[in-house]
Amino acid sequence: MGVEESIRRPSKHDELRTSPTPTTVESSPARWRGRSRGLRRPTWPTHLMLVVVVAVLVGPVLYAVLVSTQSNNDLFSFALLPGDRLDDNWDVVWNERQLGRFMLTSTVVSVIIAFGKVVTSLLAGLAFVYFRFPGKWVVFGFVLVTLLMPTEISILALFRQVSDLGWQEAGPWGLPPLGLTVPFFASATGAFLFRQHFANLPADLSEAAQIDGVTPFQFLFKILVPLSWNAIGALLVIQFIYGWNMYLWPLLLQPDDQLVQVGLGGLRNADQGQAYGPLMLGALLASIPPILVFLVLQKPFMRGMAIGRDK
Amino acid sequence: MHTRTQGPALIAVGLLVAASGALTGAGASAQTTSAEVTGIGVSIAFTDYRLDWMNERAREFEEAHPEYEISVQGFDDYEALLQSVTLAAQQGDPPAIAQYFEVATQEARDAVNSEGEPLFASVEAAIDGRTEILGEPVVLDDIVTAVADYYTIDGEFSSMPWNTSSTLFYGNASIMEAAGIDAAPETWAEVEAACDAIMALDDAPSACITWPNHGWFFEQSIAQQGGLLANNDNGRAGRADEVQLDSSEMLSFVEYWKSLADAGHYVYSGTQRDWDYTTNSFVAQEVAFILTSSGDGTALVTDGAEAGFDVVASRMPYNGDADYAGNLIGGATLWLVNGLSPEQSDGALAFMQFVNNPENAASWHRETNYIPITNSAIALLEEEGWFAENPYASVATDQLALADGSPAARGALLGGFVQIRDIMTLAMEDVLVSEADPAERFEQASAEAQEALESYNSLYAEE
Amino acid sequence: MYPLLAAAVLAGALVGRRAWLRAGLRGVTGMVVGALAGFVGPLAVMNPIRSCTFDDERGGVDRALGILLFAGGAALAVGLAVWIVNAVARPAGPRAARDITFERGSFRGHRFFPFGLLAPTLVILVLFLYRPMVETFRLSTHEVRTTAPRQPFVCLDKYTRLMEPTIEWWAIGPAALLAVVLVANVVLARRGAVAPSLRKIRDLLVVLVVVAWATAVFGARYRGVFTTTLVLTTGTVVLSLALGLAIATLVSQKIRGRGVYRTLLIWPYAISPPIAGILFYVMFDPLVGIIGNVWETLTPFEMPNYRTEKWLARFVVILASVWKTIGFSILFYVAGLQNVPTDTLEAAQIDGAGPLQRFRHIVIPALAPITFFLIISNVTYAFFEVFATTTYLTTGGPSGATTDVMFALVQAATEQGNFGDGAAQSVILFAMVLAVTGWQFRSTGRRVTYGR
Repeated sequence: MGVEESIRRPSKHDELRTSPTPTTVESSPARWRGRSRGLRRPTWPTHLMLVVVVAVLVGPVLYAVLVSTQSNNDLFSFALLPGDRLDDNWDVVWNERQLGRFMLTSTVVSVIIAFGKVVTSLLAGLAFVYFRFPGKWVVFGFVLVTLLMPTEISILALFRQVSDLGWQEAGPWGLPPLGLTVPFFASATGAFLFRQHFANLPADLSEAAQIDGVTPFQFLFKILVPLSWNAIGALLVIQFIYGWNMYLWPLLLQPDDQLVQVGLGGLRNADQGQAYGPLMLGALLASIPPILVFLVLQKPFMRGMAIGRDK
Repeated sequence: MHTRTQGPALIAVGLLVAASGALTGAGASAQTTSAEVTGIGVSIAFTDYRLDWMNERAREFEEAHPEYEISVQGFDDYEALLQSVTLAAQQGDPPAIAQYFEVATQEARDAVNSEGEPLFASVEAAIDGRTEILGEPVVLDDIVTAVADYYTIDGEFSSMPWNTSSTLFYGNASIMEAAGIDAAPETWAEVEAACDAIMALDDAPSACITWPNHGWFFEQSIAQQGGLLANNDNGRAGRADEVQLDSSEMLSFVEYWKSLADAGHYVYSGTQRDWDYTTNSFVAQEVAFILTSSGDGTALVTDGAEAGFDVVASRMPYNGDADYAGNLIGGATLWLVNGLSPEQSDGALAFMQFVNNPENAASWHRETNYIPITNSAIALLEEEGWFAENPYASVATDQLALADGSPAARGALLGGFVQIRDIMTLAMEDVLVSEADPAERFEQASAEAQEALESYNSLYAEE
Repeated sequence: MYPLLAAAVLAGALVGRRAWLRAGLRGVTGMVVGALAGFVGPLAVMNPIRSCTFDDERGGVDRALGILLFAGGAALAVGLAVWIVNAVARPAGPRAARDITFERGSFRGHRFFPFGLLAPTLVILVLFLYRPMVETFRLSTHEVRTTAPRQPFVCLDKYTRLMEPTIEWWAIGPAALLAVVLVANVVLARRGAVAPSLRKIRDLLVVLVVVAWATAVFGARYRGVFTTTLVLTTGTVVLSLALGLAIATLVSQKIRGRGVYRTLLIWPYAISPPIAGILFYVMFDPLVGIIGNVWETLTPFEMPNYRTEKWLARFVVILASVWKTIGFSILFYVAGLQNVPTDTLEAAQIDGAGPLQRFRHIVIPALAPITFFLIISNVTYAFFEVFATTTYLTTGGPSGATTDVMFALVQAATEQGNFGDGAAQSVILFAMVLAVTGWQFRSTGRRVTYGR
């Protein structure tokens, strides 16, 4: 949820700022690079420091890879070489503890949430930018205020409400429990993102469309969406990761199909007493999908958040 | 522009993955009653080989009683189980049997479903004096005395006892031999002396003894000394509305614990209720002694053998200055959900008796080292020479047989017990880690526990 | 309660009159509306709790809270009235409202269509955000457990139980200093002198006083939770921002493979908080942790056990959180650094300012909007997500050293099934979120618009 805020804030800035949006960054000359132009300084100290930082950031994961192959005894003796327990640990994680099932449920839930948010946000963005209606700014404020009310604050009451509806049970047609997806379909962040994005598009777009007699939905899907892939991609990445990282909500709700972050907890006591190997292996496996999504959709993510432009 | 194909690709991938979600069918343990088969849902708080054992018994029962279908659902812990059972009850679809642990007995008795009726029905009342149900002999009157004492309230069993353990002392035989200790220490003073000897060795382990910071150990020590936790005879003569955490017996235990820690004999893992740390430390030979549940016995003996040392099992050390009253049980029972149809109720009761019949109770003991719950099971195991081959296996049963049946030895029946246990362990952690004064800190804990009990009673007690 | 009501009505009338006159309308209307707001507001707040805080047997803290709620209700109602008047009366409307009603060749002739478009968002927000929010307030005034037969109303007991206001020297000290500074400000202003550094000191002192008094209000049990939250939050935010900026500076230089470095620095953001907790749990494990092993190999000292050392535990939690979130700060600072105006930098350099001075006086102020945004993001993370890391890493830490507000609230609800306590603590958390957001908006919000 904390990452949701990340997209919304630049939009708020943009309203208060008088400068144009960063589309002009690339074309501007002379951006600060931390060094005066024309002065030749050796770059190896910078490289060295950056390599150290990267090593620190990547280190824990490399260590996890090592531990995933080891047994408890290897760990007690601080063996630095890979052990031979990968198969056994895999067996515990995948077959005994069924991590795969949790990961599948998490994937489906995250995808559903991500697409749900994108759809509702697109509709909201369309409404705010391309329509005139009474009380528009009241509704806008209504949505805006929810940014101050993250789900965590009212999560206990939400749990009681959702469980009264019976939504912790498996959903229809074999879908995951409704309580894991439906409450999260709306996104104030997304609404702002698309509102901002649509507002920055050329004004004549909708005028031309109306002259052509295009319906609002056609306008949305045939014209706006193709121009918004970056924003959509960015929102998808963020919301997929949000769904994947959900911990407190599935912990409280205890749905019939549990999600991966809570499922990992079962590994802490796996294999008759604490086994570090399966625990680390499970942690690694559970990190692969979000990292993949992030890497694959990196470009739209950066562009959608209007950052990362450099020559 | 490659973004043009990227977008639709995203959607395609997404829909594909979402469609594969159709394969994640869930199986809730729901009750179904078709014309031929009655479904019985069983919720237990095991997800490992113990769940497998239960599933095997379920299949055997179904073979003997084809008109029933048993579906067993495992949970990671008791909290998740209770939550699932209550929610299912609210939706009108509860399992027939729910396993709940010993200190939650009062809460289980008080629990109410969405119609205001008790959530659970009394097992003994449901059995109604029959000696066999659907052909399964009733074993309720054959239950081991200590267990019967704990779970009999107002003269009857509210629930069916099942997995039961006690607190035992385990020692590393090699280290004990090196320090010249012949027999496992039995009193607190003997433990201190043994630890002095062990820590004086050249290759002494990093600490002498450890045990998890868990409410159970406090309750055991107080029971051993004949102390009470709550009023009204530990809540057994009437609902307990006063709890006391700073009795002299409690403080004796806390101070003994603290003195072991101060002397460097006791090592604290830093996390409350950290059972795994203690067993891991013991197996890694970082400590020579541990106190833990008898249920861990088999694993410790096996792992110890693998690591190259023998394991000695013995009773939990007690306060030599007080008269020994008895040790408590630990574990859980099977509760019968209220409001079932007669077929479901009978099927559930029959299954409960089946799971505890002599052969099955013996098998359960052999596999898990929970104590054999009936006297017939004990006799069976003796006959096959099990205890002779595995001396550590009978220690828990023998220890429980020493209890004198007083309210102290029977253990407390208390509402909000889980919260009160948390209060105890947090207080102990403060004593161990933050150098809090035991008497002061536990007086404060006592006040907090009283508040918790009053909150609980304001909700559940009759007005 | 009636004297309070009269006071609220009077205050409302006065404020209303002034606001109406300012907006160019008749003062009498303002008086009436203000008085009405001053009457309705407090009643609306006190009605759900049946004014129980003013019952005879209630103690001082209850009454104080009651008065606070009363005043809050009045302020909200009157403030709302004033805001509406200002927004409506001004012909052009505030600039923000104009931006909001921003239209680009709207579709005409679709009266209710936009509501249909907004329906999914609105319905979900109302059902799953607003409604639970209201219910949380209700739960916080009742004793609520899952299997209990009833839900007795307990007034504000769940709040007062956490509060035991005591007078501490560390609360009085800053307050006294603040008083001195305020007086000095007023005196200087009268004399026409301006002291910007005094204003900065004043802002800092205000924050200190608010935090100190909030801590002093809570009783022994909750004070620890509150302090822990402060420590964990401040640690995470400060480290993440400071280190993030430093690393962003490095990565913004003209070096090869900048894009690769950037990806390598940001990816931990995709790791979840629980997994960060698991990774560090094993790395710092007292028995098998690699960190302990390395430490004991390289130094003659024994590695302390973070599960029994309170400050080490907090440090490890902060470390795990910063490890996971720093990529985020780096990302945004890199973007921000690209927008720093070079003309000012060059001018400063010509004037003889050294690189550190340039950094302090030009770069950092230019990054103010990003910093503002990152502070809010990181504080949000610290409040809501660090709890998942602590669950796996320390389970609340030695003696509650890493039990923050979120952890305590979840513990109350899950371990004890006590939803009433959990709800009350949720409301306190909400107040903290509002306080931090308000503070950030006040202090930095002004500086967000930078001149071009």
